[in-house]
Amino acid sequence: MNNGNGRRLNGETEEDDDDEGSEGDLDAWERTYADERSWESLQEDESGLLRPMDNKTLYHAQYRRRIRSLSSQATTSRIQKGLIRYLYIVVDLSRAAAEMDYRPSRMAVVAKHVEAFIREFFDQNPLSQLGLVTIKDGIAHCLTDLGGSPESHVKALMGKLECSGESSLQNALDLVHGYLNQVPSYGHREVLILYSALSTCDPGDILETIQKCKKSKMRCSVIGLSAEIFICKHLCQETGGSYSVAMDESHFKELILEHAPPPPAIAEFAIANLIKMGFPQRAAESSIAICSCHKEAKVGGGYTCPRCKARVCELPTECRICGLTLISSPHLARSYHHLFPIVPFDEVSSSVLSDPHNRLPRSCFGCQQSLPNPGNKPSLRVACPKCKQHFCLDCDIYIHESLHNCPGCESFRHLKSPIATEE
Amino acid sequence: MKFQIEDVTVYFPYDHIYPEQYAYMVELKRALDARGHCLLEMPTGTGKTIALLSLITSYTLSKPNNPVKLIYCTRTVHEMEKTLAELKLLHAYQTTHIGDRARILAVGLSSRKNLCVNSRVLAAENRDSVDASCRRLTASWVRAAAAANPNLPTCEFFEEYEKAGSNAVLPPGVYTLQDLRAYGKEKGWCPYFLARHMVQFANVVVYSYQYLLDPKVAGYISKEMQKESVVVFDEAHNIDNVCIEALSVSVRRQTLEGARRNLNKMRQEIEKFKATDAGRLRAEYNRLVEGLAQRGNLPFTDNWLSNPALPDDILKEAVPGNIRRAEHFLHVLRRLVQYLEGRLETDNVEKEGPVGFVASINTHAGIDQKTLKFCYDRLHSLMLTLEITDTDEFLHIQTICDFATLVGTYTRGFSIIIEPFDERMPHIPDPVLQLSCHDASLAIKPVFDRFQSVVITSGTLSPIDLYPRLLNFHPVVSRSFTMSLTRDCICPMVLTRGSDQLPVSTKFDMRSDLGVVRNYGRLLLEMASVVPDGIVCFFVSYSYMDGIVNSWNENGILKEIMQHKLVFIETQDVVETTLALDNYRKACDCGRGAIFFSVARGKVAEGIDFDRHYGRLVIMFGVPFQYTLSKILLARLEYLRDTFQIKEGDFLTFDALRQAAQCVGRVIRSKADYGMMIFADKRYSRHDKRSKLPGWILSHLRDAHLNLSTDMALHIAREFLRKMAQPYDKAGGSGRKTLLSQEDVEKMSDGILNEMQY
Repeated sequence: MNNGNGRRLNGETEEDDDDEGSEGDLDAWERTYADERSWESLQEDESGLLRPMDNKTLYHAQYRRRIRSLSSQATTSRIQKGLIRYLYIVVDLSRAAAEMDYRPSRMAVVAKHVEAFIREFFDQNPLSQLGLVTIKDGIAHCLTDLGGSPESHVKALMGKLECSGESSLQNALDLVHGYLNQVPSYGHREVLILYSALSTCDPGDILETIQKCKKSKMRCSVIGLSAEIFICKHLCQETGGSYSVAMDESHFKELILEHAPPPPAIAEFAIANLIKMGFPQRAAESSIAICSCHKEAKVGGGYTCPRCKARVCELPTECRICGLTLISSPHLARSYHHLFPIVPFDEVSSSVLSDPHNRLPRSCFGCQQSLPNPGNKPSLRVACPKCKQHFCLDCDIYIHESLHNCPGCESFRHLKSPIATEE
Repeated sequence: MKFQIEDVTVYFPYDHIYPEQYAYMVELKRALDARGHCLLEMPTGTGKTIALLSLITSYTLSKPNNPVKLIYCTRTVHEMEKTLAELKLLHAYQTTHIGDRARILAVGLSSRKNLCVNSRVLAAENRDSVDASCRRLTASWVRAAAAANPNLPTCEFFEEYEKAGSNAVLPPGVYTLQDLRAYGKEKGWCPYFLARHMVQFANVVVYSYQYLLDPKVAGYISKEMQKESVVVFDEAHNIDNVCIEALSVSVRRQTLEGARRNLNKMRQEIEKFKATDAGRLRAEYNRLVEGLAQRGNLPFTDNWLSNPALPDDILKEAVPGNIRRAEHFLHVLRRLVQYLEGRLETDNVEKEGPVGFVASINTHAGIDQKTLKFCYDRLHSLMLTLEITDTDEFLHIQTICDFATLVGTYTRGFSIIIEPFDERMPHIPDPVLQLSCHDASLAIKPVFDRFQSVVITSGTLSPIDLYPRLLNFHPVVSRSFTMSLTRDCICPMVLTRGSDQLPVSTKFDMRSDLGVVRNYGRLLLEMASVVPDGIVCFFVSYSYMDGIVNSWNENGILKEIMQHKLVFIETQDVVETTLALDNYRKACDCGRGAIFFSVARGKVAEGIDFDRHYGRLVIMFGVPFQYTLSKILLARLEYLRDTFQIKEGDFLTFDALRQAAQCVGRVIRSKADYGMMIFADKRYSRHDKRSKLPGWILSHLRDAHLNLSTDMALHIAREFLRKMAQPYDKAGGSGRKTLLSQEDVEKMSDGILNEMQY
């Protein structure tokens, strides 16, 4: 358990570079292998020879697959996305969370990635709120209420990292159901359960609870840490969530981050309607006021609610006094790309590349690095179907995952003006 | 889909077919072409039943000038219903494709208990009493009496059926038992007699093994079947035991006492008849004198039990003179019962051959072999004459007559064993006289002789070369097929050592060793902590299970296990076990997780499926050898060695391993399922044991998994469960085709076929 404690301290102080920072407590010999685990990616071919590893193309292929699956969903039907999410993360801290099959322990790994997830979540869903629930000794505790501040959640979770006793899915669902039932109907109710245990010890009939969750339109997703459990699968199927089981730490990270972008909204789940929001002004630097969230006098910073003039420290949030949703315009803008994702780039086929009549750009439009000569490897470059500019693989990933704007299209829009502004 | 196998067009009701189903059909077709018998092993969950049904029906369709009848034998009523449901689907598909030409009549036949629609009869609790109360309403003399006196109760369904006479037929179609009942209710006809009547005309008959194998029943149900029939024994891995049981009789003290009571009752009846209706007895005597075997001229309903499948010459002989008179026959029986009582009064275990036994009956009781042989027929005739309808009360004397006839008929392949007490409880006197059959081929021989093709199929028939020797026949095809899987969804492991590296085994000298008990306990405990939902454990015997669970309880392991999962135990009581199973399923459903302790060769091991989350892991503790000190087993082994040259060790290992395979096979019931199997005994790592497992298990048993200790097994289990929880592609991705569409089948070369065969 020493490792867990060390990890926790590190997590608090060096929250930003979580990947490197939290490895600090491993022994030197462990550290070299801990992140890489390079032996696991070794593969044999049919004759038993080791295959040369080409992680980069592998990684890129994976990414392309993901992008394609996402876009195929989006194109087949004009999918509405639920941008205002109310998500509860349920962390299982029963006895099973102390198991050491993840290093240093399941609970430490979970905590580490939950922290990263919380940040990612608020980054991608600025209009949403999140709360934390833990299960311990067969009882579910509410760690933090729904809120929009990543710091407070992370702090609360790190302070409570110890595990014991049984796990009870029903208690957790009941508790979360109680909270989520109160959120306004335009919000998407979601539960993400990180489940270490292999069983659930319930006080009553869990199947009833699942039906109750289904009725109140809670989308429950489960990420298991060890094996597939029937009841979890059943829960996810019934409520429309996704169920996955992590193979190892990196897989777990991938799985949990899949929940960060907003899920497609099912029409009956949330009825589109107008929501009243306030866009508070940032208070002047020198003004002194008592903020309504901490009940403390603060100098500078903070925002003033446009309706009741109360002072709040952070955005987005709900005004404590008048209950208005407070938000800033950059937040809204950041949610925008979910609704209009950029189309996936096409791979440039080798026939086009080998055609000598085609004069192809020599360098990537994004980073201006020269694109390698085609050779006989399939595609090392991709092209945007709209602006026909070519990009290298790194830029491809960067554009789709972080930038959410195509540099080609954007620059053409500036050049040719009004035609491209059809969006 | 529709495709061609050589000259037969096969209609298959699904759009895709597994490659092994295709291979199975090809082999089956060759066997039908050769008009021979075959043995086919294919794992459960690969659609054996539908492959069989669609090939055989299609075979008939493409050869309209010599239609074959399909006789499909199942072990349980549940399986019967499942088979008929599949056939219904197939039939619907075939009629939409080729119209009325595909019309067939398929009926399921079961006992009165499952088919009767008369509420008064159904009120009886067990099968025998349902039969008896049916007879009480439908026997010819009852009906004759009722015709004179309308106050006597009769069965209205049967009366209606009789009234309809030859018009009472089923229109073509597929009838499950439920359909039959519904049809019977609608028309007001008795479904049982209707089905029995239609069996002769149906294209497909589905019924239980007993109707073909048990000579007592087979004589009258199955005698009308044409030679051009294909007989299928499904789930036939225990067929030799079924054959043996059909010809074995055991007599206890209660049986003899009951028989005495029956005899007294019969004597009173005879006295009564003598006083009132002496002519009847006279008529019977005359009939017997004339040597007319009474069979055939009797009304249908009275034919309640026919004589065993005796050699034909017996049927032609006349009943010997000394038992033609009713009183004389009763005297003979009385002497026989007395003699048997005397034999039971022994303090030692005695073993005798039939010849010696008959000789000693002759000297002590003065009954010769021929008389014994006719006991069964004579009793039958007498009971008809005496108009006895409470057949369930006369079971004891029937047992005695069964015994007498069998002893008198067969001189080889049997032995008579008298045990004064149960070996395991020597202080309780419980004398039992057993006539045990050692030769499975005796009961099944008429089936092989009479029918054109007999198909024996199951998920576990390995080693496949032993069955022809046990049943004494020559298959034209014997093959074992593996399962084509999109992923490695079964994970068999052989665990030889505990976590302390000491070997584990249920060998007699080791089984009570504390270390072994502890190691088994730790194994289960550790597994319970990494395996989700249900775990099934099989032990070698009830007594071993009791012992080990007891000591786990004492040293606290059981309590620790209970922290992870609830524990349920199979008992010898059926009701209790059913309840335990129900709750086990409930615990798996609601996520609590559960462990079921069960016994190899028990009811659970044979008939209950632990598919999906009901069984993610099955642990076989030990090798389930039979109780080798049992006198009957020893006698059978000796017989097998002398007659079929099968070594004792070979047979015992074969028998143990097929039980083990049967147990672990419970967890996989379909391809989408996954499960682990742990063989926890060091003896499994030996080649002679391991190689007798079925091919589909062996092919997944990797060399690295042959000699594991608990901690290694734990690690493998963790990895396996994680891998299996990942989403997968059902159709099978790169290279391994596991679902074939019509085009695939058409261009399928023999290359793929050979791959499938093991």
